[in-house]
Amino acid sequence: MSLLTNITVVVLADHLVDFGAMMLARLGADVVLVDAAETTAPRRAAWRHGLRTFQTQPLSSGAAPPADLADLIGAADVLLEDRRSGHCAGISEIIAEITAANPRLIHIVATGFPAEGPSGPQRPATDLTLMAQSGLMHVIGQAEAPPLRLPGEQAYALTGIQVATAALMGLRARRASGQGTRIEVSALQSAALANYREAVMYEWTGRIGRRVGNRLVRGRSGVRQVWPCADGHVTWSMIDNPGMMRALVRVMIEEGDAGELAEIDWGNILVADTDQALIERWQAIVGAFFTKHSRETLGAWSLEHGWGLSPITKLTEVPESPQMVARGIFGPSETGHPIPSGPLFAVHGFDEKGGEGAP
Amino acid sequence: MGALDGLKVADFSWVGAGPRATKDLADNGATVIKIESARRLDLGRLSPPFARGESKNPDASAFFAQTNTSKKSVTINLSDPAGVAVAKKLVAWADVVVENFGPGYMERIGLDFATLRAINPAVILASVSVAGRSGPLAGFRGYGNAAAAQSGQADMTGWPGSAPHMPPLAYGDVVAPMVLTVAILSALEARDETGQGCHVDVSQIEAMVHVAGDLFAEMPGDKPANDDPLMAPHGVFATAGEDRWIAIACETDGQWAALAAHLGIENRWPQLADRQGSADLTEVLAAAIASRPGQTLETELAALGIPAAMVIDGKGLSEHPDLLAAGHFVTVDHPVLGPAHMPAPPYDIPGAPVRVGPAPCLGQHNDEVFAGLLGMSAEEIAALTTSGALA
Repeated sequence: MSLLTNITVVVLADHLVDFGAMMLARLGADVVLVDAAETTAPRRAAWRHGLRTFQTQPLSSGAAPPADLADLIGAADVLLEDRRSGHCAGISEIIAEITAANPRLIHIVATGFPAEGPSGPQRPATDLTLMAQSGLMHVIGQAEAPPLRLPGEQAYALTGIQVATAALMGLRARRASGQGTRIEVSALQSAALANYREAVMYEWTGRIGRRVGNRLVRGRSGVRQVWPCADGHVTWSMIDNPGMMRALVRVMIEEGDAGELAEIDWGNILVADTDQALIERWQAIVGAFFTKHSRETLGAWSLEHGWGLSPITKLTEVPESPQMVARGIFGPSETGHPIPSGPLFAVHGFDEKGGEGAP
Repeated sequence: MGALDGLKVADFSWVGAGPRATKDLADNGATVIKIESARRLDLGRLSPPFARGESKNPDASAFFAQTNTSKKSVTINLSDPAGVAVAKKLVAWADVVVENFGPGYMERIGLDFATLRAINPAVILASVSVAGRSGPLAGFRGYGNAAAAQSGQADMTGWPGSAPHMPPLAYGDVVAPMVLTVAILSALEARDETGQGCHVDVSQIEAMVHVAGDLFAEMPGDKPANDDPLMAPHGVFATAGEDRWIAIACETDGQWAALAAHLGIENRWPQLADRQGSADLTEVLAAAIASRPGQTLETELAALGIPAAMVIDGKGLSEHPDLLAAGHFVTVDHPVLGPAHMPAPPYDIPGAPVRVGPAPCLGQHNDEVFAGLLGMSAEEIAALTTSGALA
């Protein structure tokens, strides 16, 4: 994918900008890693895939910037500077001298906490502490257990996406003004932005979301989201979608497993207002049906009839799943495991050579 | 002026996955015209919470309002060919067309990419769907949770040894629109360079796969939960009060030593290797923290340079002093909700500031768009409104 073919990006990485740098590289930019904090081999393989490493003389604070580094930044379109922990602080001083010579540079500065707040950008932050402050952990997991984060490094990834977005916004602004700019991105805000529900629910209803396991609570009742089946689990919820309910029950009738569900007029049912005991009875019928069938069978029925059900795929199964193979998502990595090194999204109708597809 | 001033977006998307991306564009200055219909309401308008509990009022949803800031709204009935004809005029006007309909819908109403391109050769079509518009699952109908299920994220969420976990939030409906914004901006960059439009096709499953890239590279045998291979201690610990927890992540031996000293713990685990997987350490730490007020401890540890933060809830998020100081929530005056907090993008561009305006009421900009922008006569608009094409 080469949408950003003529863009050069220089990176000082300390986890907050890594994912954004990888995104820009995946889109065709020439992304050059000048400095990077320590990380594990799998994270290096995943987040720094496609980045070019820049070799220069050892850098020391107070010394004149090396000419090759000055040339690199002098010609760059974007600089991603990571100020999460201070790891890149030494080289940041050197680079500050160089950036002044490139008035067209889009200089993205990523911090854990925003500069304007009482904590300040120097406050230490990691993926875990940022997730804690996003409000998301409070609702992930079971009520009787501690809060959980999402798997992987999601606060860092969310920040990285906003870093890439800010860089592209800066490039758009530069087309109009001809001038570069310096844009600050805070990881706290990036993680908080992912929580689209909890703050607005509190502000308008006074309700505070809590950990409820695999239940989805809407209105007066809660419904299941994860169901065992013959060879694993599927996800499906009894939500207010009459067409979807009818489609499921139709197959259950054909299989002789619909019970009382066959008699229900789903167009006149509002699940969110239905008594919990009744929902549990209906869910027991659905659950018994699911346990008789495999993920493949249920997934095929869902695709054919529009149930909105998905098989829950094990992590190990994802790279070889037919959809991932068809879309070219996974490739080999130095860890020996396939990584999602393919396109971030598909692009149709774009001729990279500007040939017949060009108007 | 915003970074995207002058950009024109015809937004056919609804609910969450599309509108969150077009909100990004609108908040940065793009003119985003949301094409919706009273005949088939955006389900976001039916989503709680509602101002004064007015669940039947299509303009009272705070959920919708925060997802659709800074946009304009017109009502067009896309099941009516006369409505589609008006929609095509917006396609001709637009730089970008955005949609997240079910599989095949755009084709069925005659707004497939080939048709859009015939109307507007340089147009960018931006689609977001659960599985993408190609491949064996292209016809899949579902919600954001399907992306968690099929990306391995549900399999990896939860405590070790437990069944898959699906929290009550559709993370796929968060990540995919962020990727969609990047897709649109990069397609615009390419168009500026080559003159070509294109169709960018974002899959929620793939977006979720990409943000879990480190897990695929490692392929852990079990769920990592709150553990980290480079940090210990690294977890959440109960503090004084009900359901009050503090997250602590020591990245260096020095941070751990400072934490131990502050809590009065004998440092029997000076090296990372000593601390990793140590049940004794976890037990000692939990006991040292359990009776302390969490907020005070957070402040003390932050001052010592130790990454630590309370696990906050919706109230904590809404009242977070750093978020409020940074303008993360902007107070916007909405005609039905009144003054209301709306989230802003997590960056601001000097010289091209973000401006968050109210979400539109249903069809609020019909006259402005149909007459002012498209040049339709009052008689034509009246006739199409009466016939139901503009409804």
